[in-house]
Amino acid sequence: MVDQRTWRPVPRSRLAAASTHLSPRWRLIPSAVVLGVVVLAVLVVPLVVDLDQQLVDLGSANRPPDAAHPFGTDELGRDVLLRCVYALRVSLTVGLVAAVVSSAVGTAVGALAGSVGGWVDRLLMRLVDAVASVPHLLLGIVIVAILRPSLTAVVISIGLTHWLTSARIVRSEVLSLRGRPFVDAAIVGGSSRTRILVRHLLPNVTPQVLLSTTLMIPHAVWHETALSFLGLGLPPHEASIGNMINDAQRSLLTGGWWMSLAPGLALIVVTLAISGLSGVWRDRLNPRRRSELTW
Amino acid sequence: MVTELAVDHVSVRFALPGATVAAVADVSLRLRPGQCLALVGESGCGKTVLAGALLGFLPGNAQVSGSAVLSDEDGPPLDLLAATDRQLATTVRGRRIGLVPQSPASHLTPVRTARAQLEEAVRAHHPDEPDPRGRANGVAARAGLAPEDLDHYPHELSGGMAQRVATALALVGDPWLIIADEPTTGLDHHLVEGLLEEFRRLVADGHAVLLITHDLAAAQRVADRIAVMYAGRLIEVGPPHTVLDAPGHPYTRGLGDALPDRAFTPVPGMPPLLTDLPPGCSFAPRCDRVVPECAEVPALPLDTEHAVACHRPC
Repeated sequence: MVDQRTWRPVPRSRLAAASTHLSPRWRLIPSAVVLGVVVLAVLVVPLVVDLDQQLVDLGSANRPPDAAHPFGTDELGRDVLLRCVYALRVSLTVGLVAAVVSSAVGTAVGALAGSVGGWVDRLLMRLVDAVASVPHLLLGIVIVAILRPSLTAVVISIGLTHWLTSARIVRSEVLSLRGRPFVDAAIVGGSSRTRILVRHLLPNVTPQVLLSTTLMIPHAVWHETALSFLGLGLPPHEASIGNMINDAQRSLLTGGWWMSLAPGLALIVVTLAISGLSGVWRDRLNPRRRSELTW
Repeated sequence: MVTELAVDHVSVRFALPGATVAAVADVSLRLRPGQCLALVGESGCGKTVLAGALLGFLPGNAQVSGSAVLSDEDGPPLDLLAATDRQLATTVRGRRIGLVPQSPASHLTPVRTARAQLEEAVRAHHPDEPDPRGRANGVAARAGLAPEDLDHYPHELSGGMAQRVATALALVGDPWLIIADEPTTGLDHHLVEGLLEEFRRLVADGHAVLLITHDLAAAQRVADRIAVMYAGRLIEVGPPHTVLDAPGHPYTRGLGDALPDRAFTPVPGMPPLLTDLPPGCSFAPRCDRVVPECAEVPALPLDTEHAVACHRPC
C-alpha cells in the first residue's frame, strides 16, 4: 500500500517566531553587535589609529561633541571617544581576568566543600557566609589599600570578593550530583575520590561555572569602575571609566556634560550587552526551554 | 588469581526510624573460578543488597554481619565485609569484582561520551596500556558494541546499548567475579544470547559470574547453579534443571508455575514486608504445605548438591 498523502512542513513565519515576546533574538542580536563592535574597537584601534590618548592639547580643551571629536574633549583637550576605547580595553581585560579568577577560586572551594562534606564543608560555607556579610566594595577597598592600587591589586580585590556565588553554585551542584547513580557506578568501578571529582563531577558543573563566569564579568567591570572612581584603581592619568567619570565631575558644573555622559553610557551599554548575551546562553542551557529554540 | 569467594552467614539490615529492614538474612554461598551462579527471586527480596554488600556499597544506615572472604593465591584472604573503603576501592572494586549495575543509562556520566568513560576506565585499570583506544574497542566488542557506538553521549544510547556499555565498563578491569544485576533487561533476544555467551566465555576462562536476574530461562541456560532467594534468605540452591524442573521448595515450584509456558499461575499472596517478617519460615503464610515445624526457620544445608530450606519439601 503506497502512502498517497503528501507531506509538507508546517508553515511558520520565522519573522513571527522572532517577534514573539519569548524569542531571545531581541536580546541576542543587539548584544552581540554591541559587544562585537566594542571588542573589535579595543583590539584594533590602539594598533591602527595613530593618536595618543594621553596627548594633552590645551588649545582644544572642553570642546563639545563635533565632527572631529564625536564625544568631545576633556579639560586637558584629550579626545573622550579615544579615551573611552582605551578605558573599555582596561575594563574588559579586568572584567575577564577577574571573573575567571573568582570563578576558579569559587569552583575550587565549592567542589572541595561539596565533595568532601562534613566539617570541611561546614567550615568553608561559614567562611563564604562570613565574607558575604561584609559589603563587597568595602572588602575590595581594604584589599586594594593593603596591596597598593594597581591593575593586579584590582583583579585580586575582585577575585577575592566575587568567588562566593560560584562557590555556592558549584557546592550545591556537586551535592546533588553526588547522589546520582553514575557516581555510585564510578565508586563500584573502583575510582578514587579525586578521579570521581575531576572526571565525573566537575564536567557536569562546567556549564553552570562558565555561565556564572560570564555573568560575573559585568560585576567585575563595575567593581573596577567603582574602585577607580574612588581613586583606588588605576593611576589617575590612565584611561579607565572610573577615572574618566571622576575627572569629569569638575566639568559638570561648567557645563561639560559630555565628559561624564560618554564613559557612563559606554559602561552601561557594554555591561548590558555582556549580561544580555549571558542571559541568552542561560536560557539555552535551561532544558525546559528547548522547544522554543527557533533561532 | 582469586581461588574462592566464601560468603558465610551474611545478614544485612537497615535501621530506619521505628523499624528494621532485614534485607538479607543468613546467606551462605560459595563461588569458585569457572562457576556461574544465578540468583533469582522476586523484586525486593534482597538480591541487589547482597551484591552491594560484597562491594562494600550500602547506604549509611546498613548493618552487616557474617563474612565474605575472598581467597587469593597471590595474597592474604580479604574479608569484604570487614575491609576498609580504601582497600575495597584500590583492590576489589572494578579489579577483582566488577558490577554491571541495574538501569545502566543513569550509571553513565551524562556529559561525557561512552568512549571517554570506557577509555578512562582502561587508563585507570591498565596504566601501562600503550593503546587505550584499541583496548576500549576490544572490550566494547566483547560486550557487543561496534567502535562507532561508543562515540555517543549516554542520552543518545538506547537502553540496550547503555546496558552493553555498562557491561564493557565492568569487563575493563578484568575482574575475577562479575556481578551482573539484571543485565538482560531491555536487550533484544539476540543480544541476550550474545551476552550470555560472553558470560559463558568468561566462566570458561576461569572467571566467576554472579547473575542476578528475573529471567529464569536465561538463568537456566547460563548458570551452573541457581540460588533462589525469598525475603532475604536463600531457600533453594542447586543445578538449574533440578531447581526449575524438580524444585524442592514450594516457593520455587510456585515460581516455575508462574512461567507463561507452564501453568502461568502466580504464587498466591504477597511477599512479606521486610520490616515485619513472620517468625519461622517467611514463606509459611503463602505456603500450601505448612506443617507445625514451619514456626522454626528451616536451615539450608550447605554440603549437598541440591539444597532446600524447607521442613516439608515437595
